[in-house]
Amino acid sequence: MKEVFGRIFIHRREENWWMNLLVPITSIIIALIVGAIFIASTGRDPILAYKLMFGASGFVPGPYFKTHFAEMLLYTALFASTGLAFALPARAGLFSIGAEGQFLVGMITAAFFGFWKPLYNLPSFIHITIIFAIVILFGGLWGLIAGFLKAKKGINETIITIMLNWIAFHLIEGWLVPTGGPLAADVSTGVSGTPYVSPSARLPVILPGTRLNISILVMLLVIYLAWFLLYRTVFGYEIRAMGYTAITNMEAPKIGGVNTEKRIMQIMFMGGAIAALGGSFVVLGFLGQYPPVFEGGYGFDGIAVALIGGNEPVGILLSSMLIGGLRTGATAVQLARIPKTFPAIIEGLIVAFIALNELIRYLLSKVLLRKKEGVA
Amino acid sequence: MEALRVENIVKRFPNVLANDNVSLSIEKGEIFAIVGENGAGKSTLMKIVYGLYLPDSGNIYVFGKKANLKDSRDAINLKIGMVHQEFMLIPRFTVTENVVLGDEPKKFGFVFDYNKAVKEVKELSEKYSLTVDPTEKVENLPVGIQQRVEILKILRRGAEILIFDEPTAVLTPEETEELFKTLRKLKEAGKTIVFISHKLSEVMEIADRIAVMRRGKVQGIVKKEETNERELAKMMVGRDVVLEIERVKTEPGNVVFEVKDLAVKNPRGIIGLKDVSFKVREGEIVAIAGVEGNGQSELVNAILGFYKPIKGVISIAGKEMKFITPYEIRSKGLAYITEDRKRRGLILQYRARENIILGKHTLYPFSKNGIMNDAAIDEYATRKLQEFDVRPPEPYMKAVNFSGGNQQKIILARELSMDHKFLLASQPTRGLDVGAMEFVYKWLIEEKKKGIGILLISLELSEVMGLADRILVLYKGEIVGETTPENTTEEELGEMMLGLKRKVLQ
Repeated sequence: MKEVFGRIFIHRREENWWMNLLVPITSIIIALIVGAIFIASTGRDPILAYKLMFGASGFVPGPYFKTHFAEMLLYTALFASTGLAFALPARAGLFSIGAEGQFLVGMITAAFFGFWKPLYNLPSFIHITIIFAIVILFGGLWGLIAGFLKAKKGINETIITIMLNWIAFHLIEGWLVPTGGPLAADVSTGVSGTPYVSPSARLPVILPGTRLNISILVMLLVIYLAWFLLYRTVFGYEIRAMGYTAITNMEAPKIGGVNTEKRIMQIMFMGGAIAALGGSFVVLGFLGQYPPVFEGGYGFDGIAVALIGGNEPVGILLSSMLIGGLRTGATAVQLARIPKTFPAIIEGLIVAFIALNELIRYLLSKVLLRKKEGVA
Repeated sequence: MEALRVENIVKRFPNVLANDNVSLSIEKGEIFAIVGENGAGKSTLMKIVYGLYLPDSGNIYVFGKKANLKDSRDAINLKIGMVHQEFMLIPRFTVTENVVLGDEPKKFGFVFDYNKAVKEVKELSEKYSLTVDPTEKVENLPVGIQQRVEILKILRRGAEILIFDEPTAVLTPEETEELFKTLRKLKEAGKTIVFISHKLSEVMEIADRIAVMRRGKVQGIVKKEETNERELAKMMVGRDVVLEIERVKTEPGNVVFEVKDLAVKNPRGIIGLKDVSFKVREGEIVAIAGVEGNGQSELVNAILGFYKPIKGVISIAGKEMKFITPYEIRSKGLAYITEDRKRRGLILQYRARENIILGKHTLYPFSKNGIMNDAAIDEYATRKLQEFDVRPPEPYMKAVNFSGGNQQKIILARELSMDHKFLLASQPTRGLDVGAMEFVYKWLIEEKKKGIGILLISLELSEVMGLADRILVLYKGEIVGETTPENTTEEELGEMMLGLKRKVLQ
């Protein structure tokens, strides 16, 4: 047993593995400092702003902690879904920014099968399971379109996914959902957007007194599966090999017998499926319908989440908690006379400094590694 | 008058002595050619002269003055210009924009004066009869004209010494003729020209004096009138064999690999391989000799399925392969040793243990039902790294951190442990030191004893002569010679490689 642990925790880890943790943490700290300078330059109190923001973020105990904590985890599940939807293709060397559209496809699919009459009176567990399965299928197929075109025709996946985002958006909000649209609620009911989903399709709340539902548990399972897939399976081995060699046209894995076309399609399917699952959380978890206008953006936040999390499943869990916490604390900063969009600035700064990770890594290693050598 | 003199230049790269005490003197107004095999050190020498590499020791004198070249800017200031094999042009820019880039004529001190630039380029091109339309975009020009733009570029910087690094490698015969006309004109204008090549016929046509390099040393400097291609080839190839390779007699068995009427176009749209046919039998090493760029890469890529043949058939173990993908051909029993270890052989960011199972990773015991078995991989990797003497035998080290020779050993360990009937060895010793070379030879002979059919693609004549049972010579995409080591000499092979002679074994 000791030997097994030794192999996993000592042998397998990278040289200077702790740098992989230290670099993002340093980036976040620098971002917070720069954010403080921004606030101070407008004549407001940065300490108060951060106190309010983190006080309401769900990370530190305080008034309404339970509610904040629940909200933070709800956001976490959403950001983790779109973060993974970006990160998994990224591990295979693909730059897919289609999470936005896949998320919307998940939402509309969940809404439809939530109110669809044949399923309406099913027991909750079965109803939700069926919806999740269909959402995964539809979202996956939406992602597969780009994967198929990339694998078979060599068309740039980034451009296709951008296009598909707009197609999804306009199909849904321009045709399906507006009054008179095929999926819109009957005008006589007074509801705009799609009809509300059946109570049996609502995600069960796991923390009484809050909105926190099973979405976070589902997402934790997905994150675990993503990690397992990447690091414990043949599939992940091949995917990572493709990602490392994407710049050289994946020649080495191809020669090693990897069917890169198939793998590209599979990973794009998975990315789409996970983003769509996040979309279904929104509908089944709190909105209860596809609203006439949905303020999206989760897909693009997912790219930031994946960047901060280093495209690692565990990193994405942590970074989506961070971004989720910032969003939860957003309203509270208004008490310091700061607009609630301020946390978005922090998010942007973190991404900017994460993007500088090579520089930060270089500076850190210069300071820290030399010291270590000096001691030894 | 002496234009350029290099004295006792030494340049050492890891494992290779690229320039070993090289001294040359080049007169003003002559065309001076430097010939040698790939890796003989001629490009390294010229890169030192152009300031791209710093020599370990030695001096350079330009027009009699000692030059201290730290980068190419210094070289340009000393009126040295270089036309690289790969052009340094911006395709979307016009000829004029490319020529003046970095030193643009300006209006009011900061506005780019395009019209004046066009005029300048036009005057320059008329002066040296380098006909080119100054307002045409470079991307619309054929390669030969693009080269003229390169020449104009260095002439505009006032170059007096012009270095051409294998300028004809990318040109058609007609374009080569045009280039030679240009070179003669430049010579008439008093420019000094250094011409690097391994094509002897061209050197004999254009050069005044010729220096032959081999393994980093200058073998001799001769006047064109006093030599011939045959003598140059002899000097270039040399006769001493570095490595004694043990000869093993085996009885060739069934045909394991066959290529019939294969024609392949490369991505540049040029037909790189014309109707090539040959067979490889069990326990036989068939070597493809030839100067690089005569169809070897097209052949390898077609076999692997990266290029689609225009016509012809590839069959492995009697089975015809149509619309091959790398995956299919590998599953039919092909092992592949590549010269391009970093790109094709290894996944550099993967550890040795992960690299060593690539291609077998789907099989038991390395994985079961799609889940990797780490214990089995560790055990296997440790064993194989020892068996193939990889140093350090550390399965958790990333491939990128191994030396070139050890990287090749990892590839050998992987490929030769596969279930295979046919081995494609494409320049397996390229860039390796002598020790690692011997190791590769030893394993190739082991394979031969086991009855594996081997196709060896090599630029090294000593390797071809030492290992092969049959030798095929590729020249301009065709097989111009078929012989055996007993029936030929390195000199004869050299001549065939350079297209001077054809020979087909009856």
